[in-house]
Amino acid sequence: MVPFSLFSQNRQITGRVTDEKNAPVSLASVLVKGTNNGVSADDNGRFSISVPSGNPVLVISAAGYGSSEIRIGVANEYSVVLMNSSDLSEVIVTAFGIKKEKKALGYTVQTVTAEDLNINRQNNVVNALQGKVAGVTISSTGGAPGQGARILIRGINSLDAGRNNQPLFIVDGVEIDNSTLETGGGDTRGMTNRAADINPDDIETISVLRGGAATALYGIRAANGAIIITTKSAKAGKMQISYTGTYGFERVNKTPDVQSKFTQGFVGTVSRKPEYDPTSFWPSWGPTIAEAKALDPTHPDAIYKNFERGYRTGNQTRHSISLMGGSELLQMGASFSYSNQDGVIPFSDYKSYNARVNGNLNVSKKIKVGATLNFINSGGSRVNADRYGEQLIYWAPRWDVMDYIKPDGTQKNYGVENNNPVFTLATNRFYDNVNRIIASTNINYAPTTWLNFTYRIGNDFYTDNRTRTAPGPKGLVGELILGDNGSGFIQEHNIKNRIITSTFIANLTNTFGKDFSVDLKLGHDLRDAKQRRVSTTGDTLVVPDLFLLQNAKRILATQYIEDYRNYGFFGDLTLGFKNYLFLNVTGRNDFTSTLSKENRSYFYPSASVSYVFSDMFALPRWWNYGKLKISYAKVGKDGNPYGTTTGFISAAPIGNVLPFTYTDRLGNPSLRPEFTNSIESGFELRFLQNRLGLEVTGYMAKSKDLLLPVKISNTTGFDEAYINAGEIQNKGIEISLTAVPVRSKDFTWDFNINFSTNKNEVVKLNQGLTEILTATQFGYLTSNANMKLIPGYEYGALFGRTYRQYYGTKPEDPIRVDKDQPLLIGANGFPSIDTKQKYLGSTQPDYILSTLQTLRFKQFAVTVLVDTRQGQMKFNQFANFMAAFGTAKFTEMRTETIVFDGVLANGSPNTKPVYLGQGKGPDGVDYGNGFYRNVYRGVTENFIEDASWIRLRSISLSYSLPAAVLTHTKVFTGASLSLTGNNLWLSTKYTGFDPESSSFTAGNNGSEGYSGFSYPGVRSFLATLNLQF
Amino acid sequence: MRIKYFSLVLIATLLLGSCKKGYLDINEVNPNQTQNPPLNGLLTVVTYQTGINVFRAGNVTSYYMQYLASPNTSSGSDIYDDLDRSSLWFTTDDPTVVGDEGSGIYNTIRDERVMLYKAAATNAFEHIGVAKVTEAMNMSLLIDLFGDIPYTKALDSSNFAPEFDKAEDIFNSCLKLLDEAIIEFDRANPGIKLDANSDLIHNGNKTAWKKTAYALKARLLNRLSKTSNYNPTAILDALSKGYSSNADDAQITKFANRSPWNQVAANNANLILDGWMSEQSIQAMNGTTYGVFDPRIKYITDTTRFGDYRGTVNGKGRSGTGTNKEESYLSINGFYSKIGAPLLLVTFAEMKFIEAEASFATDKPKSYAAYLAGIAAHMDKLGVTTIEKNVYLSNTMVAVGVANFTKDHIFKEKYIAMFLHPEAWTDARRYDYKYKDFTLPLGAILPTFIRRMGYPSSEKDRNGKNVPAVTSLTEKLWWDK
Repeated sequence: MVPFSLFSQNRQITGRVTDEKNAPVSLASVLVKGTNNGVSADDNGRFSISVPSGNPVLVISAAGYGSSEIRIGVANEYSVVLMNSSDLSEVIVTAFGIKKEKKALGYTVQTVTAEDLNINRQNNVVNALQGKVAGVTISSTGGAPGQGARILIRGINSLDAGRNNQPLFIVDGVEIDNSTLETGGGDTRGMTNRAADINPDDIETISVLRGGAATALYGIRAANGAIIITTKSAKAGKMQISYTGTYGFERVNKTPDVQSKFTQGFVGTVSRKPEYDPTSFWPSWGPTIAEAKALDPTHPDAIYKNFERGYRTGNQTRHSISLMGGSELLQMGASFSYSNQDGVIPFSDYKSYNARVNGNLNVSKKIKVGATLNFINSGGSRVNADRYGEQLIYWAPRWDVMDYIKPDGTQKNYGVENNNPVFTLATNRFYDNVNRIIASTNINYAPTTWLNFTYRIGNDFYTDNRTRTAPGPKGLVGELILGDNGSGFIQEHNIKNRIITSTFIANLTNTFGKDFSVDLKLGHDLRDAKQRRVSTTGDTLVVPDLFLLQNAKRILATQYIEDYRNYGFFGDLTLGFKNYLFLNVTGRNDFTSTLSKENRSYFYPSASVSYVFSDMFALPRWWNYGKLKISYAKVGKDGNPYGTTTGFISAAPIGNVLPFTYTDRLGNPSLRPEFTNSIESGFELRFLQNRLGLEVTGYMAKSKDLLLPVKISNTTGFDEAYINAGEIQNKGIEISLTAVPVRSKDFTWDFNINFSTNKNEVVKLNQGLTEILTATQFGYLTSNANMKLIPGYEYGALFGRTYRQYYGTKPEDPIRVDKDQPLLIGANGFPSIDTKQKYLGSTQPDYILSTLQTLRFKQFAVTVLVDTRQGQMKFNQFANFMAAFGTAKFTEMRTETIVFDGVLANGSPNTKPVYLGQGKGPDGVDYGNGFYRNVYRGVTENFIEDASWIRLRSISLSYSLPAAVLTHTKVFTGASLSLTGNNLWLSTKYTGFDPESSSFTAGNNGSEGYSGFSYPGVRSFLATLNLQF
Repeated sequence: MRIKYFSLVLIATLLLGSCKKGYLDINEVNPNQTQNPPLNGLLTVVTYQTGINVFRAGNVTSYYMQYLASPNTSSGSDIYDDLDRSSLWFTTDDPTVVGDEGSGIYNTIRDERVMLYKAAATNAFEHIGVAKVTEAMNMSLLIDLFGDIPYTKALDSSNFAPEFDKAEDIFNSCLKLLDEAIIEFDRANPGIKLDANSDLIHNGNKTAWKKTAYALKARLLNRLSKTSNYNPTAILDALSKGYSSNADDAQITKFANRSPWNQVAANNANLILDGWMSEQSIQAMNGTTYGVFDPRIKYITDTTRFGDYRGTVNGKGRSGTGTNKEESYLSINGFYSKIGAPLLLVTFAEMKFIEAEASFATDKPKSYAAYLAGIAAHMDKLGVTTIEKNVYLSNTMVAVGVANFTKDHIFKEKYIAMFLHPEAWTDARRYDYKYKDFTLPLGAILPTFIRRMGYPSSEKDRNGKNVPAVTSLTEKLWWDK
């Protein structure tokens, strides 16, 4: 028997799918109706499909378009036109995966497609969103492999530095955990935000809900907005296989300026001149290189540039393959990805494996069932970038930092008081290993055309195992023990985290007459979260490099248990009039476990109006769409678990007894929920048949009764009390402009700009408090940079010490610095330090602007992403340390004698010349430890730097094989190669590493203000190959 | 039909929510804590941290007393800089540090008040006694460092910014607490007895506690030596009911980690420089200042690589690298800083010197005998051999004879006997620092000797309006005027 297919008279049908403006509809699906036989059109909309004899019907469809059916006749080539659904009903995914027509929305939702998301090949989905959405501030906390990225929508609206201010992450309607856990010393190791486990190649679209009405339905957890991710789902048709492979390498993109004239040593106690000492603790206060070489012939001709030597070239590899296909009945998809990255700091790496399976089953005309299962394994060797940067400053550049180990495996060092930073990286290790399963299933039952029910349940479960090891001393002669390793230790931290979410929605639709429509949704939503942690530390290892708990002299273990439950009922009613005027009203009542019985239930509503005036009356031809929108929303937010109680904890045993002590934080049984009231208004306009679009939104949000652990007098016996502490306000404007300046057969140019500005202000603090300290970072001579909440100032306002200024008879403001006043110069000719805490700047940007340009010419495409953030200040702790240790380039002035510009205490101008170096100056006066150590490093203001930047975030060039070549291969339906450069160019006044990096982790609200010792930002070059079968 | 469906839906969604009763009560109890700590668990933390508080205070005052000196030039701890002493008032729990939970004086008293409350409910008289003695010990320590501090309004969780009390009033309250404690120890049939393992000061021995209460009373009453209320009779009366030998000493011998001064010595050995002997204390013992070699020096510190004892001048800092045994440090084998070294809180030797001071005016021979007995007791404590002890005690620079005996001799010897203890600083201030060859540290930023500590930034930041103004750290406290 011969297979049927050899003898049937199949025909080859080709064609091109375009929209009504003749633009190609790439990747349109072409299916022979009623069969599994289907293909995808290529990027140019061209397709080629083998059909059986007869007159079969082809069904052509694409996301964002209406579908079309054509009956095959005699001809073999067809042109298919699909109607662009933005004219009809562009569908946006909103809360709970509810798809709403964009025109009906009275609030702002912005969508990013898979194509835009992945142009810069970022592995972390949060980083991938950078520059593509307005109203959102995204910062990668550093360039480490797997480093966490932080996302904030419309500013900070919680006062507690430890509260999560980041938006809710939803994948296919199921909440997933995006926390960045700091357990086990992860606070300085750039731990990963858990949303990074998502495979960006699985994503179809991301909707960003910016708050207020957009998130009113999600309640508590979406008070900071929501990121709604919809993954690619298989469509009925032939199986499509797609492979993407990326290889890239990266280097640090910006290093600080260091001096190169002076070498190791310090001012001599007797000679009072800088003295060279090759074992000195001091890296750079010695004499010039020439003078050192005269004493020590082994001294190199130039000191080592350890801030460049200490970082290597990193590399990354990523492979991703996905399979999708199905019939009208069942569609299934599977994807696998592997990624591996070695970072620019030695001994840092990250690996991730991701496997995902999803399916949709049309059980009957009325019932649809879907399920997803995603398994992820990720983790790597994490380095303490903060410590590395600090130790690099202490390390004398006279010696090569990369020469860190002796043949016997112990530390190679030039003295006894320092530690080799690379030896620290090599021996003081931290590994994490996350195993995660995200599973969800949904069922949709539509008994009639006007009623349907959806139920979705999801489980996000992961274990995170962290191991920290440090070897003990080997006991060899001449061994230099690394202080950080102590007597050796092994720590095992095991974290288990599980979130179950369940959502039920009933949806009724109806029309009244021909003008009115009603859409009512009622639902119930529940979240049940559990976290368990067990930490075991074994310290003092007997066998120095045997990292087993049994090998430790002393073992201590602690545990942590946390549960959280929350559920709510919600309703969403949309009334439509003639399909151009819409009123939407929502209401939600939440019940939470974190507040007491009297306070745990609370209700909040929202209302929005959308008016598509372009549908109501005729507008000029060149103006095809116009919409006005306004919304008001109230959202409630609860506290962290266990805020209502105070209890006793047990501490480490003494002998064989356990001490018990009161906790440091006073709980508060009468905690109330926080509420944010926001108003948003704006318009959306489109011109020239959608070739030009403009969307503008303005908003104001006031958050009250914010929960905060406030520092109280220690004489109460406690350190903090958790109270409803105050009020904060955010207001701003977001503008998105999209244009297609050129559209022709061979060349199109897509132009996108996003602009946003947010102004934040602390309105009020309760309990008679005048200020609250939220974050602080060390600076020498008590020049700590403090982030404080003070009414009238924004969240993230930085305070610290300044130079004393002369005010004469003018009154001196206790908080604000008057830049016009001269410096007060002392009798010794130097300025002095003002110990009052003054306002030094805001860590919040004035505005953020990003632009994405996509140019397509035949088979080539070029995308350019440029973004800028202006107006933010940061404390550069790195510069503070460099000044203290004589490493900074500006300390080359130490050989000079200058007159400080300022006035003396009596108001007369200063004329006294002073020597800036250490010891005896040319005038014979002894200047002690020098200006930089005596004064300069103790002035916080010197290190609050303008961290505004403009950067070329990404440029990408890609080439896709033309359809003609593809059909020739008979195997591939798509093939493209792209070259991408990320972070290629950066312009900033900031003197340290890349100012986007942070000393804190992605989950910490102090992240914005401190960028001193961080994992440096990187510039990367990637090559990506994509094949489709 | 639609209405029927609609109402069915409504009912179903409402039902879903009310499934399990108490479903949301899960956060009402924090599973990481207990509301019911064991009485002896509180006893452990209170007795242990009372000791650690003495160490922490001693780690500051020893630099003012020039027992120790910093290896860094112009170190704030030497030159009277107004450094932040917040950790003496309260130290927050740091999960990465072992043994600092419940640390800091107000933290300790918070736990002690809970112990007092629980003990009162179960007639645990011994625990009530211990609570009162430790409260007196802690509060009397803090007032001597800072003067006026919150007390009557403190430890009230509804008052986040309490007012400050006068130090003299707190002093009188401490005396009252000690009297009350003594009564409690005498009560019969306590509901619960002190647990020997949990009581880290006296191992559950209530008689020892009663003696300590009297000993503390003597110490406190002796502080009034400059005031008109100085009552030697009352002091001698308290002493008679207090300690009679070194065995009665209040001290900590079991530790969460290392004994604190041992940790200092161990750090120094690992090149985290700490615990350096000051030139003042070395010279007071090696014969330079007083012309007699004190054998106790061998039990405290080691010789340098030059074979002699060398101290560091306070404020001068190190001469060499500081890592080459060119100076003397607290020895890793010394009495105060070896592994398992006891942390001394109240000692018999101290009592002897108080006796010497109190009886000096009325009974000089008794005073002289007490002086010699105090030296002997301290030497026995350190493990000085009998021969060495006798050589020292018969030296004419020490055994001066009743006729030549002055208060200067008492203070000179008490200086050594109170090595590293914060009460020594109170002695120095009562004596106006008149020790032989005792000078201001090099580069001192005050014109005269330091008389008090400045209020910590934690209190200034959080309770600023109540914190009294301090013009200079040379301001004398109420008993020092």
